[in-house]
Amino acid sequence: MKKLITLTTFMLVAVCNVAAQTVDVGVAAATDDRYCTTCHGVEGRGNIGVQAPRLAGMEGWYLKRQLENFRAGIRGTHAADVQGIAMQAMAVKLSDASIADIVSWVSSWEYIAAESTVDGNARRGRTAFGTCAACHGADAQGNEALGAPALAGQNDWYLITQLKNFRAGYRGAHREDSFGAQMLTMSRTLTDDQAIIDVVSYINTLQK
Amino acid sequence: MTNPVSRREFLNLLGAYGGTSAVLQAGAALGLMPGASQAADLSLLNMSSKGKKVAILGSGISALTTAWELSKAGYDCTILEASHRAGGRIFTVRSGTVVDEIGNYQRCDWDNEPHMYFNAGAARIPSIHRSVLSYCKELGVELQVFVNESKTNWVQDDAMLGGKPVRNTDYSSSMQGFISEMLAKSLSESEIDSSLTESESETLLGMMRTFGDLDENMLYKGTVRAGYGSGGFLDHGTKKDVIALRDLLETRLAGNVMVTTQEGTGSGPLLMQPVGGMDRIIYGFANRLGDRIKFRSPVTAVMVKDDGVEVAYEQNGESQLLKADYCFNCIPSHLMTGIPNNFPAEYTTALKYIRRGRAYKAAFQAKERFWEKEDIYGGISWINAPIQQIWYPPHGIHLDKGVVLAAYNFGGANFTEMTQEQRIEACLMYGEKIHPNYRQLVEKPITIAWHRMNHMLGCAPRWARNRGGWSQEEEHLYETLRQPVNGRHYMIGDQSTQHSAWMESAIQSAHYALADLDQRVRAETA
Repeated sequence: MKKLITLTTFMLVAVCNVAAQTVDVGVAAATDDRYCTTCHGVEGRGNIGVQAPRLAGMEGWYLKRQLENFRAGIRGTHAADVQGIAMQAMAVKLSDASIADIVSWVSSWEYIAAESTVDGNARRGRTAFGTCAACHGADAQGNEALGAPALAGQNDWYLITQLKNFRAGYRGAHREDSFGAQMLTMSRTLTDDQAIIDVVSYINTLQK
Repeated sequence: MTNPVSRREFLNLLGAYGGTSAVLQAGAALGLMPGASQAADLSLLNMSSKGKKVAILGSGISALTTAWELSKAGYDCTILEASHRAGGRIFTVRSGTVVDEIGNYQRCDWDNEPHMYFNAGAARIPSIHRSVLSYCKELGVELQVFVNESKTNWVQDDAMLGGKPVRNTDYSSSMQGFISEMLAKSLSESEIDSSLTESESETLLGMMRTFGDLDENMLYKGTVRAGYGSGGFLDHGTKKDVIALRDLLETRLAGNVMVTTQEGTGSGPLLMQPVGGMDRIIYGFANRLGDRIKFRSPVTAVMVKDDGVEVAYEQNGESQLLKADYCFNCIPSHLMTGIPNNFPAEYTTALKYIRRGRAYKAAFQAKERFWEKEDIYGGISWINAPIQQIWYPPHGIHLDKGVVLAAYNFGGANFTEMTQEQRIEACLMYGEKIHPNYRQLVEKPITIAWHRMNHMLGCAPRWARNRGGWSQEEEHLYETLRQPVNGRHYMIGDQSTQHSAWMESAIQSAHYALADLDQRVRAETA
């Protein structure tokens, strides 16, 4: 009799467990590495809420290089590069095929210029931008031959963070980051935070 | 005890914090139970015949509450959830559970037993959280007592007693004794004495003696409340050695150890948890809502119109459009800022203002319930290290194995940025300071860095930038966010409350929004 009661109890528990989980919410399918939009927003338009920049409109060659740099620890490993560290943790898991898939996916998104959030002195920034234009182009449209990405249309808060990171050596200091090293040097021509805000305010006027 | 803190030093300290008159004047609100909430009687107008559609974005407990209440009132609800699971930060990990952290995908392979789980998010239900308890009752979610504080647990700090862990009871009984002794001494000072009547002084002295277990000379010389040094059953018990006050003061954990129990703020000695995991509440709602919940359906745009809300979302790679009369949105504010919308500027400013909290938890499967051999059957061990806390399950007592919570760090930043291997090593390294064979006794780690969880990217939202409280601007933005846009779109969840991180707050945010909606539809149909 005791055995029967035990068995019945067991069956009841088993039934309850099944009943409690009739809605299948426990199984995730990680079929790809397309996590981008959680941070970078719908269709990669950028999200200030988590400080993740716009990907839509980013050149494929530049996106590939950055993902590879993150993966190799060339970018996103400096302790002060808070957002870079978050990106690096994801990128380190990516295979070449995943990077190719992501680059292709991102290229399908429509380019929409990011909204302006800073209000610096664009006139002063234009003068400073002369140095930037040598590589990034007069309209900040980018230049693949020189390895310089487009800046126009990018989230201005992201450009500011990156310029500050370059200037402080949080980005571009890795010995294998040759393009970053150039930027690290050039960023130091912007002597204070206001100069950075001014040049980014000018870039805002170039949105294609 | 060597070099006790002098009476004068102590009185000076009291004076620095306002002295006795301030103490005597406080307490005007005695008799009220702070923070007690009413389970709402919503009595929503039944809209069965009206065909009103409602879009509910996200499936945290505020969203499920909304969907459940509106469904009962005859609204046609659709819940869009971006991830594979419902519940948001109410998340229980057990055998087979996927932890979808970006860059750190984990699948739990603990023994598949009913007691082998860990609540990676919400974990405790206070008795004053009436809305949560009321839904548990309504949904048939069986509850059991959760042990938050256990005095046999450990307190460890490298700065105290050479890092040797001490029992909570040794720490807290001694601290209580010394505090009582000093207060009793200070009662003879005229400054304090004159503030009290003779009768009040006697009552206070008597209480102090009992509170601290002082001797007849009102001195603390140790107490058997901390357990016996030897004997106690067949033989007379002997007192343990007293830990010197100066040793007790070596650790900043004093605050945690002495005030773990705070009924009014939600950590009373009696807390509750659902049998089998906190997500039983989520299943309770989800099973009733059935296919109204659409999983893996991320929202891609929210547009508020004159007569409703249009919500674009993706499902199986296809773009879909849901046209609804009303929309209730519990998508975390920091993710909503990355979703196209036409919210008013000030509303967006409020969304952008809220910062995402960091919190980190970790857990191991324990190969044996080693804590029970140390007279521990639940509660928290406190450690002054990044893991901060170790919790022992109060359920599954005397079974072979259990799941031990290996870290609970409110800040979480340092853990979040570690690799999985580094996180595990940190848990083991610090855990060993309390349990010497910890590394051999635990296995199969799971880590939860809420800042990195897919579709969450944060823990409890944080409004106030300053510890001093909410600024006027923050109060204003908060009020902005909890007003509906155009009477159609409501932000809900603990982000729309002033006491985040609790299920009760999230549910009450839903009730607040539902009451507003009900008022509007009643006005329209009148």
